[in-house]
Amino acid sequence: MDSSNDDALDIIITNVVATFRTRCHLNLRTIALEGTNVIYKPEVGKVLMKLRKPKITASIWSSGKIICTGATSEDEAKLGARRLARVLQKLGFKVRFSAFKVVNVLAVCSMPFAIRLIDFTKKNRPIASYEPELHPAVTYRIKHLKATIQVFSTGSITVTGPNVQNVATAVEQVYPLLFECQKPRN
Amino acid sequence: MAVSAPITSLIIITCVCVCVHFPSRWTGQTIIYLHHSHPVLCIIVTFPPQIMLTNTGPVAKLYLSIIDDVIENMRELFSDEGLEDRVLDDLRHLWESKMMQSKAMEDFRKNSINSSNFVLQLPASYSQTDQEVTASVVIPASQSIYSFPRLKNNSDTLATFSLPAGLAYPVQIPAGVTLQTASGQLYKVNVPVVVTQAAAGQQPVSRPTQKVTEWREPAAPRPAAVAPNTTHPQEVEPSSAPAPSVTQPPQPNTNYVPPTEESSLPQQPQDPAADTLLLQGADSPEPEFRLEESEPSPQPEPMNLSMTASPCGQSLDFQTGTEETLTQTAPLKSRDVDDILKQVIEEEREKAERARSLTSAKTDSPSEAVLGLDLDYSYSELSDIVQLDGPAGNSDLEEEEGAPLDENDFLGIINAEAIKALQEGDGSSDGNSISSSSDGEGADELANVEDEDPLNSGDDVIEQDIPDLFDTDNVIVCQYDKIHRSKNRWKFHLKDGVMCYGGRDYVFSKAVGEAEW
Repeated sequence: MDSSNDDALDIIITNVVATFRTRCHLNLRTIALEGTNVIYKPEVGKVLMKLRKPKITASIWSSGKIICTGATSEDEAKLGARRLARVLQKLGFKVRFSAFKVVNVLAVCSMPFAIRLIDFTKKNRPIASYEPELHPAVTYRIKHLKATIQVFSTGSITVTGPNVQNVATAVEQVYPLLFECQKPRN
Repeated sequence: MAVSAPITSLIIITCVCVCVHFPSRWTGQTIIYLHHSHPVLCIIVTFPPQIMLTNTGPVAKLYLSIIDDVIENMRELFSDEGLEDRVLDDLRHLWESKMMQSKAMEDFRKNSINSSNFVLQLPASYSQTDQEVTASVVIPASQSIYSFPRLKNNSDTLATFSLPAGLAYPVQIPAGVTLQTASGQLYKVNVPVVVTQAAAGQQPVSRPTQKVTEWREPAAPRPAAVAPNTTHPQEVEPSSAPAPSVTQPPQPNTNYVPPTEESSLPQQPQDPAADTLLLQGADSPEPEFRLEESEPSPQPEPMNLSMTASPCGQSLDFQTGTEETLTQTAPLKSRDVDDILKQVIEEEREKAERARSLTSAKTDSPSEAVLGLDLDYSYSELSDIVQLDGPAGNSDLEEEEGAPLDENDFLGIINAEAIKALQEGDGSSDGNSISSSSDGEGADELANVEDEDPLNSGDDVIEQDIPDLFDTDNVIVCQYDKIHRSKNRWKFHLKDGVMCYGGRDYVFSKAVGEAEW
């Protein structure tokens, strides 16, 4: 995309959350007994299955909905989801991999400068909200991107958005605003 | 060196270490492995087929008490059914023997079991008594009982004692001691010997010993000798381990009368350690005595009897051979020995003989050392008795263990799933789900949902690469107090459980564990 001064910025995706459906009812008890690396939570009604290869934790509901968390990229999330579906298929369920959707991407980014939060908040009302007693970071929401950015005084920011593209765009968008309010180094 | 002479008598061998193997198959036959270094007494021990569990470790005690309970409670039922008590006793013996064989009860006090069965008859004066005192008649296990009376007669002057259950190896046996196995065979120790427990791994040489009776030959210290002076067929396997010692295959001794139930090492790997002397019974009718001389540095010797020439005996050094050979077999072997020993003890008790317990350092090696000798008892009953698994049920797993199931197995499950799904409901609102699964992909009822590309039968979907690392026999069956996880660190607080680890059983009332996933 446009430079927007982010050529030096590393956006590190730390978590990708995706869901998909198996189109079939799943017997959680069977999965819990016969699956490997599973945690059964009957009180909640789900089974957690952890995969090692793409490091992924999946919450499996009996309805067939599965939420996959822990991936570090969208492709990895898809791969992990498919592997998971494959595992379930091996367990004997008539699984159909469908409705795969990445619902959330979490990324962190570190600015090379510190930020004056109060200044930033004043400049970006009402988009930015800052309640230091509740949370030490400024929450900046970009509505049209559906992205939320949390700005910390150290210059680190965390961005969550519906997909990686949105996250990248959000960072680019917010960077100049942050640049204005940087704390001078002294 | 190996002496291979089909001799039924016991040969006294002067050698440093003696390992005795009790072939699983033949009761009461032991193989003694001798080392070259010191003069040692070769003792052939035979074990009676029956297992007497007299001395047991804590786990074994628990299991025995369970067996007792069950058997007692069944007594009435059995008699109501019209079955004889003998049947119940047979069942009990069978059960005990299988349990012993599986060595699942083995714990660090394992040797005690073995030792308990070993009966030593000491000459009153502890001096070297002549063979005649021992009246040793080596009788095959089956006949062991008969030998007892004879022994008794002759043993007036003998002090007989049985090794205590908790005998700790190494055990020293002073000169002049007569060892009597459960089967009634007597072995006279002419030279102070030290019996140590061989490591579990020691190979069981199996051999059916046979009648040793005469082993009392005066122990002329023979250097390196395995030389059983007698005609015993002895084979010495100086070399190391790999070759299954001379005798190798644990051929079932036809003499072996008693049912395999006990003391049969489940699997006798008959890989006699190189340094072991094997007493081998050539034929059933004529058991051979094979002594294998063990090198000074026995390696896979199951039991090395190190003879300390010290006159005061009582210093059994157990050299536990490297456990390499069959860690399993070793315990198995010892188990057989244990059984045999137990039987001996029992018999001894019955006869109200004086029991003297030897004090000896106890080694933890699984194999049991026979008093005075490192006897590696390897029963060559392997072929008869195959089972190896521990008594603890492998049914439940605390840890995951699952092996992937066959696809075929799931056909039934899938149908059941469908039924369950229908019954449970469980908010599986997808009426589609059931119908779709049953209909197959013919109908694309998922009009509203974009039908993603199918899994391609797993063609493009990579299967779970991680192999089943949990295909293990180590199982813990227990209850849990608390299981906690933080990220990938797990903490377990368990209670009231039985653990089968490395073939052995351990019982606990509390266990704490940590693991990383």
